[in-house]
Amino acid sequence: MYEGIRSPVIHAPKTLNEFNTTALRYPTARIWAGGTYIMSQKDYYPSDSKDAIIDLGGMEELKKITRNDRFVEIGSMVTASQLLYAGKLILPEILQETLETLASQIVRRQITIGGSLCVPDVRLSLSTTLAILDASAEFKFYQGGKVSNHWIPIARLYDKGGNLALGADKALMTRIRIGLDYGDYHKFVTVEDPIRNSDKCVIFAFQAKRTQNSLSKVQFCMNFPTKAFHMSKDIEAKLSSLTLPIHPERVNTISYELVAEIKKQHGTITELQLERGRRMFESVLHGLNSQTLQT
Amino acid sequence: MKIECTIDGKALSLSVNSNKPLSLILMEDVGNRSLLCHCKGEACGNCIVLLNDEAVLSCVVPAFRLKEATITTFESYQKTRLCRDIERAYQRNGNTPCPNCYASKTLIIESILQNLTSTRPNRMSTTMLPRPKSTAPADEALDEKDIIQELSLNTCQCMHMSELVQIVETALTFRRRKRVRRN
Repeated sequence: MYEGIRSPVIHAPKTLNEFNTTALRYPTARIWAGGTYIMSQKDYYPSDSKDAIIDLGGMEELKKITRNDRFVEIGSMVTASQLLYAGKLILPEILQETLETLASQIVRRQITIGGSLCVPDVRLSLSTTLAILDASAEFKFYQGGKVSNHWIPIARLYDKGGNLALGADKALMTRIRIGLDYGDYHKFVTVEDPIRNSDKCVIFAFQAKRTQNSLSKVQFCMNFPTKAFHMSKDIEAKLSSLTLPIHPERVNTISYELVAEIKKQHGTITELQLERGRRMFESVLHGLNSQTLQT
Repeated sequence: MKIECTIDGKALSLSVNSNKPLSLILMEDVGNRSLLCHCKGEACGNCIVLLNDEAVLSCVVPAFRLKEATITTFESYQKTRLCRDIERAYQRNGNTPCPNCYASKTLIIESILQNLTSTRPNRMSTTMLPRPKSTAPADEALDEKDIIQELSLNTCQCMHMSELVQIVETALTFRRRKRVRRN
């Protein structure tokens, strides 16, 4: 049925050294983590692509989860399912919530953390949450016959449109580091499926620290999967100086400021997505108010 | 690429393209009749099979990940006693999925039942990757929200979600009774 289609050569390195050699020898080879994104592309099979595949499935070095007093390190080939079962002792609660909404358990067994973060054109929920948790990823770049190591904050991994902006032809994400100094109030909200309904989907993650009645270290990210990956330092700074509870009118004003800012920077976002994003933002701040008033 | 694997209890040596999806291998190279179509990334959820006893979407598993794997499709699963629990639950509730999604929905329900009853020796392990040593065994039980999330993997709208949840509950009762009798 598929006569004439060439079967790609599969390289299966077991260690990072083996991977380095393979990656330098085959610069056009495709790196394969879980494969859920690649295989869900309409033109995946049959295709004319002659590129070899480097399968990361056998690299034990990329499947470790370690934790110390300051941070958690997660190998890029750890699956969403494995990470979720690592439990509350290891993960921030917001990350658990995010992983639970990522997909059904059947799919979570195949999705790898590195693969989810390195999808080139769709930003999924995991990137949104890791961006506000100040997580960083270690990359190995393969350029000009040399290998170099870099730690890049997840928030700077993508451009404003949400596309992966690595600036190198070949790179491998090896691990993700999440600091354990995060806020005591966090919320993760998502509407619609980012793959099936990317034009209606909005993903929102928020975290802040409450010290007595004042808000500090506010970080949030509003993600419109195929259109924008929005983080606003201005609005974060405005919120960080506020006293709790925030007056409803002030919540309203800031939410409309956010919408205006998103509209100005990303023209392609639909009115439905903007309204959804605004309401998510407002509801998170109202939730913060209600928690403050209860205590 | 040559792959040695076991499909529905038969040890096979297949010569297929290294990146060919499992769903197409089953349909074209093995001639399996329980898979009706290849959705080409639509994520319809109609191609569930058990890979090393864990439910997977066969359209997102490439051939090169199948070395030495054991694949169970609905064709052989329906002959097992485990399937009887789910079939009885369909009968008890007076509802059966349509022929298009029957196989897939039944295997998703089986996956949920295995999670709820922990019949598998290492239910946290992944199909393709060993579990990291640092992770602790989790005490997780699927609640109704999780069950709905699992069932919504199949996009066929032939049955209401509440009916499916009811079927899962009934099948779970049958499965537990069977285990008690065995003990």
